[in-house]
Amino acid sequence: MTTPFPDAPPLTEGAAWHRLHPLSPFVRAGRQMMSLVIVLFALAVLNERQARGDVVIDAVVIGIALAGGFISWLVTRWQIAGDVLRVETGLLRRDSRRIPLSQVQAVDVSQSGFARVLGLAELQLRVAGGDSERGGSLACLRVAEAEELRRQLLALAGAARRPARAAEAGVAQAAEPGAAEGTAPAGGSAPTAAPTAAAPGPLAAGPPSADSAGSLAGDVREAAAPGRQLFRVRAGRLPAAIVLTASGVRALVIAAAAGLTVQLTGSPGVLGPFLPVVLGVVLALWRQFNGEYATTIVAAPDGIRLSSGLIQRTAETIRPGRIQAVRLVEPLAWRPFGWCRLEVDVAGARQRHENQAEGQRLRALIPVGSRAEADEMLAELLSCRPVPDRRPPRRVIWKAPLGYHFLGWSGDERYVVASRGRVSRQTTWVPLEKMQSVRWVQGPWQRRLGLATVRLDVAGKRVSAEVSDRDAAEALEILGRLPDLARAARARAS
Amino acid sequence: MTVPLALIGGLVGQVISAGAGIGIAAAVLLAGLVAERFLARRVAAWGYAERREDLMIRRGVLIRRLSVIPYGRMQFIDVTAGPVERSMGLATVRMHTAAAASDARIPGLDTAAAAVLRDQLAALGEAQAAGL
Repeated sequence: MTTPFPDAPPLTEGAAWHRLHPLSPFVRAGRQMMSLVIVLFALAVLNERQARGDVVIDAVVIGIALAGGFISWLVTRWQIAGDVLRVETGLLRRDSRRIPLSQVQAVDVSQSGFARVLGLAELQLRVAGGDSERGGSLACLRVAEAEELRRQLLALAGAARRPARAAEAGVAQAAEPGAAEGTAPAGGSAPTAAPTAAAPGPLAAGPPSADSAGSLAGDVREAAAPGRQLFRVRAGRLPAAIVLTASGVRALVIAAAAGLTVQLTGSPGVLGPFLPVVLGVVLALWRQFNGEYATTIVAAPDGIRLSSGLIQRTAETIRPGRIQAVRLVEPLAWRPFGWCRLEVDVAGARQRHENQAEGQRLRALIPVGSRAEADEMLAELLSCRPVPDRRPPRRVIWKAPLGYHFLGWSGDERYVVASRGRVSRQTTWVPLEKMQSVRWVQGPWQRRLGLATVRLDVAGKRVSAEVSDRDAAEALEILGRLPDLARAARARAS
Repeated sequence: MTVPLALIGGLVGQVISAGAGIGIAAAVLLAGLVAERFLARRVAAWGYAERREDLMIRRGVLIRRLSVIPYGRMQFIDVTAGPVERSMGLATVRMHTAAAASDARIPGLDTAAAAVLRDQLAALGEAQAAGL
């Protein structure tokens, strides 16, 4: 295999190429592969008496799949050259990517359930832009390797320029962090580490491999630099909180309806046609629970580290200054308990397989927590915290009778905050240096009342802060001032 | 546009009966005039201003929008011309920022003017570029 960039700078020549883990095709094929094997196996057992031919065909199908996976592994390699990560893949259609590390928004280490059994993990670099789905994904590496690489990439991505370390990328140190995991957690943060280490306890019983159990603890605890734990979701609260959201209530209603139907008709068979709907709702709830279980937030020097997951575990690192927006959500049903949800928006898609709805959802720093916890986290994320206390004019009640009581905004030279919502209150903070564009919008009803809305767009399509229903003149003034403030904030940030 | 359409409608109607032909022609004419009036207002509402550090775009009749897009936030610029636009020598300049929601579109520019505007915006964007 020749280097595709013969004219690359000399520094890259010395950097070694690395391969992914040989078992990674299995993990990437993941569920499809597993279900294929199971179905084929079942078929083979059932048809055993009939014909041998089927079995042969099945074997051929599996063989082709395996060969494809092997080839894809064979032709994939990666390298850290200077401050650029290079990933090459593809046999027929060669695909060579260079990801400048300074552009990286966040680094994720994720493990599907199957990958955990094998002790593997996927490393994903999030860069802004539409085509980030395959961005810089290295699937899969050994967990220790992935962690080490993550640390290295972040170090390189940060201001630190360490070409010497870049040259000896990753693999060599694979054994070292693995050994460190067995010993006491780094940084002397024993009380914070204790619950994290305990988290995988019930799971460690399941997977047979001791290596994977060790690595599970590892991906949370690792952070070689001393990290400070900011938050950890309470396992008991999460299911209750999920059930109390809109989709949870929907699921309960469906369950009640199903129960009632069975009671009335006396035969559970009538539910058959509705099974897919029920399954969909249950799966959505499960996915949320699975994704947000044991969310732990640690503040480390190289960014904010989030780790979460029950079966599929992910550990993300958001680099400092890459948060596009912060949102605080207080659903109606949570208010009696004083719970809230804190979400952040980072540019770039999160996961490969996420569907539309999940892609729209923000990453929850606090899936459910008390106001005090949220306040603490906000203080960590935002250098100062304006409160949306500027109320809209009284006449807005004619335009938004249900939303009026939550409307408000405020801003200073760093942030704009706006709150809105009918039954669930959403407060969004946008750092002015992240503002992409501003819009002043006035609908017909608003024009009649002399109102207007100002909308701030940030990167991506998930969030825009809306300063809703202000006096038209005030809105125009906001629109006039924001670009200048944003420019000043940008100048300050850079 | 309206008159030929009305004529065609009338001719088609003629196949059924003379009265239907006139009726259809009148209806099409009326609808066309109304639509034209709406379109004219919509076109008149569309405007843009190149300011020193940002581009301002105004549009909409029923829902009025006024967008401010800093040049430094510009990611790339598109100049598109559909078949109808091309037949009239027009083009649309569209600016993209990292935010999917910022809809900065200037339609109905003369092709040459669109090219000039594109180059101008690109130069300004490069001069003031800012990271994410």
